[in-house]
Amino acid sequence: MNNDAHQNDHALRGIRVLDFTWIHAGPSATRILSDQGAEVIKVESNNALSVVGGPASATARGLGQRHNWNAGKLSISLNMKTPEGIDIARRLVAVSDVVAENFSGRVMPSWGLDYDSIRAINPSIIMLSMSGFGRTGPWQDRVSYGQTLQAWSGFTQLTGFPHTDPSGPASAYSDAVGGMAGAQAALLALVHRARTGRGQWLDVSQLESLSSLLETLALDLSVNGKAAASTRHGNRLPHGGGAPHGAYRCRGEDRWVAITVFTDEEWRVFVQVMGNPRWADDQRFATADARERNADALDSFVESWTIKHAAADVMALLQTAGVAAGVVQTGADLSHDPQLKERGFFRRVADQRGEYRIIESAPYRMSRTPGRVTRGAPEFAADMTYVLRELLGMSDDEVEHCAISGAFD
Amino acid sequence: MTVPGEQSSAGPLGPLSGFRVLDLAGPMGVYCGKLLADMGADVIKIEPPGGDPMRDFAPFAEGEPGPGRSLYWLHFNTNKRSVTLEIGSSEGAALLRKIALTADVLLETGPPGYMDSLGLGYASLAGNSPGLVYASVTPFGQTGPYRHFKASDLVGFAMGGYMYVTGWPHTPPTRLWGSQAYHTASNRAYIAILLALYHRTMTGQGQYIDVSMQEAVAATTEHVNTTYNYTGEPAVRCGFRHGGQFVATWQCQDGYASITTNTRAAWDDLRAWMNRDGMAGDLMAPQYDDHFVLRGERSAHIEDLIQRWAMLHTRQEITEFGQSKHHPWGPAATPDEILENEQLWGRGYLTTLASPDGGPSMVYPGDPYRLSEFPCPIRRTAPAPGEHNAAVLSGILGLSPDEMEQLTEGRIRGIPRQAQNAPAPGEVERT
Repeated sequence: MNNDAHQNDHALRGIRVLDFTWIHAGPSATRILSDQGAEVIKVESNNALSVVGGPASATARGLGQRHNWNAGKLSISLNMKTPEGIDIARRLVAVSDVVAENFSGRVMPSWGLDYDSIRAINPSIIMLSMSGFGRTGPWQDRVSYGQTLQAWSGFTQLTGFPHTDPSGPASAYSDAVGGMAGAQAALLALVHRARTGRGQWLDVSQLESLSSLLETLALDLSVNGKAAASTRHGNRLPHGGGAPHGAYRCRGEDRWVAITVFTDEEWRVFVQVMGNPRWADDQRFATADARERNADALDSFVESWTIKHAAADVMALLQTAGVAAGVVQTGADLSHDPQLKERGFFRRVADQRGEYRIIESAPYRMSRTPGRVTRGAPEFAADMTYVLRELLGMSDDEVEHCAISGAFD
Repeated sequence: MTVPGEQSSAGPLGPLSGFRVLDLAGPMGVYCGKLLADMGADVIKIEPPGGDPMRDFAPFAEGEPGPGRSLYWLHFNTNKRSVTLEIGSSEGAALLRKIALTADVLLETGPPGYMDSLGLGYASLAGNSPGLVYASVTPFGQTGPYRHFKASDLVGFAMGGYMYVTGWPHTPPTRLWGSQAYHTASNRAYIAILLALYHRTMTGQGQYIDVSMQEAVAATTEHVNTTYNYTGEPAVRCGFRHGGQFVATWQCQDGYASITTNTRAAWDDLRAWMNRDGMAGDLMAPQYDDHFVLRGERSAHIEDLIQRWAMLHTRQEITEFGQSKHHPWGPAATPDEILENEQLWGRGYLTTLASPDGGPSMVYPGDPYRLSEFPCPIRRTAPAPGEHNAAVLSGILGLSPDEMEQLTEGRIRGIPRQAQNAPAPGEVERT
């Protein structure tokens, strides 16, 4: 690849990804690559049209996820139950840089597309395999969803308040985390290949991606015993460090503000902003340690102030004075957030029918490779002509033969 | 594996071997530095003389604070080197500029304008070093009306929209365990840095990266934005029930178990088991045949029946039954069970390492992915303050012993450790 191809605003121009991934984690990983100019060819199937994020997502939310995780990609339909479908996939492997998949461990080998086989086709290929538990080890054949992994990792039990059921993460944190890990692994491999010419196999276990965010827990348990993590802490820090530290109810229905105070100086300013209420003089709140010890009482007092105000007003008052505070924003708040608006976080992009769809941007601004997405998710099998004719150079007869054989069904 | 202290020279090169990173990050970016270091980059942690405030973060080995005993420090600084440098002084800033000439990446989490005020902003460093990748991670980014707002992990989690939907309808919005807003900012910054390193490898060009923690969280919520933007209704809190959907966790005899009925087969297997236990109520009727019925109008009735039934069984029974039929069912592990996980040990994800200074051995978590070209990431435990001053200042910059001595008197070492109560600029949380 010559340097000229990179004198542009996308870091991954010239990279082609053959993308078998579906649902959430895999597509969100390859969307990160697509944003930066990689040509991502989504291999889809008539058999999975209506899965979450599939081309015929049944719900409005599913349609949103279709666009959010697949914006900018191409789509082809291949029936991998036919020899012709598998043959086309193998020819695409030969002209791709990355093959991505998040099936259970049996699927790719059953198509003759395990790493050793695809490496025989394309020696410098990078294969990204994303799975719940990884492709080795005693649990390699176990089945999981995002929530299963959140439970298995410990996140579910750890998240929530001490005296209620654990809540675990809302939504599929493990899929979002797995998607980030998948993109990271692929990028590491691309850097490695650019420097050495060598491809490799990337085995991403979502259980491990998620567990790697449990911070010091493994160290803590191993050296301090089981008591190290015996309870949930709600919105407080498990190892202390600040009070008040929580979400406080504000005026309105289910409106909250997050406030964190760590130092004595921040506390002094916080008390001033509240108008120097008499309770703040209590010895129980005189020092940072005392405030932490008496955090329950402190939280009640703080909420007696916040409840009288709109959450946005509490944020503005405290931020003006230099105390970290923020509205606990809803989906509606985010879509109107002036900060996100100014930075263009939400983008409206046209889909192939010409309808505008709202998608999230990458949460970073890169000065030289800004990497803009300009279109929504593809329609199902929208790019057959480009992929079969232009990319693979298939003839009319070949395409017709494959169609009759059911390779595109 | 027991590899405290310096790495051995043998072993495969990591994908980032040969890249040098100057890590000036606080808690918002410390995980990003670890991710870079674990993949082979030469990450030099730049600390104030006397040591970084994060060296005093709990928890501690055997509950006792002290040098080398912060598990927070040990975890987030594996494979890094340490140089102590007062970057707020003109001599310190000048030295940092010199080290930056040899660096590929600079990572920092100061408030917008802070590094510029020290003469260490992107514009001043990139002039002599056009290949430099300079990543700034801040609560809200470098632009926009909130750019000077302060944020802890909790505030970032709230403003990014993840907190509102976490927890139960009757509880306040809830944080995830751990500083996940910080780590999400780190995860996203790491992606941007890897993109920039790839671009740099291909073209020689560096660039500036502006990461917003708020956006990082907002892009990681799965359903919050798509639900509102495509239905007009904000997503709400529903604990681990996910709105009565077919993805749900239930209380059972000895804790909680996740039972996902994502297919008709899984749903049929569940209600048949309930039926064998005499607990299926009317669920065998054809009106319940569709597995999406769980999120329909009879969801409360169905949930009630499943919850009553689940109390008859243990996590293990539910897991074994579901997995034997290839359904994604599993236990909610209690935290103390994490170190008993045979899969995490079986794949070498968890490893036991001796501590620096002869402290107790500890179990370290591995990296979030497994690369066939680079299987063993922990080469060195976290460094002592200034442990690599000589290696970097004389080894890389070529300072003479005399010059080193002068610096020791001045701005590198020898200054008593300052009171650590004040957080670093822009960093307010002490997780």
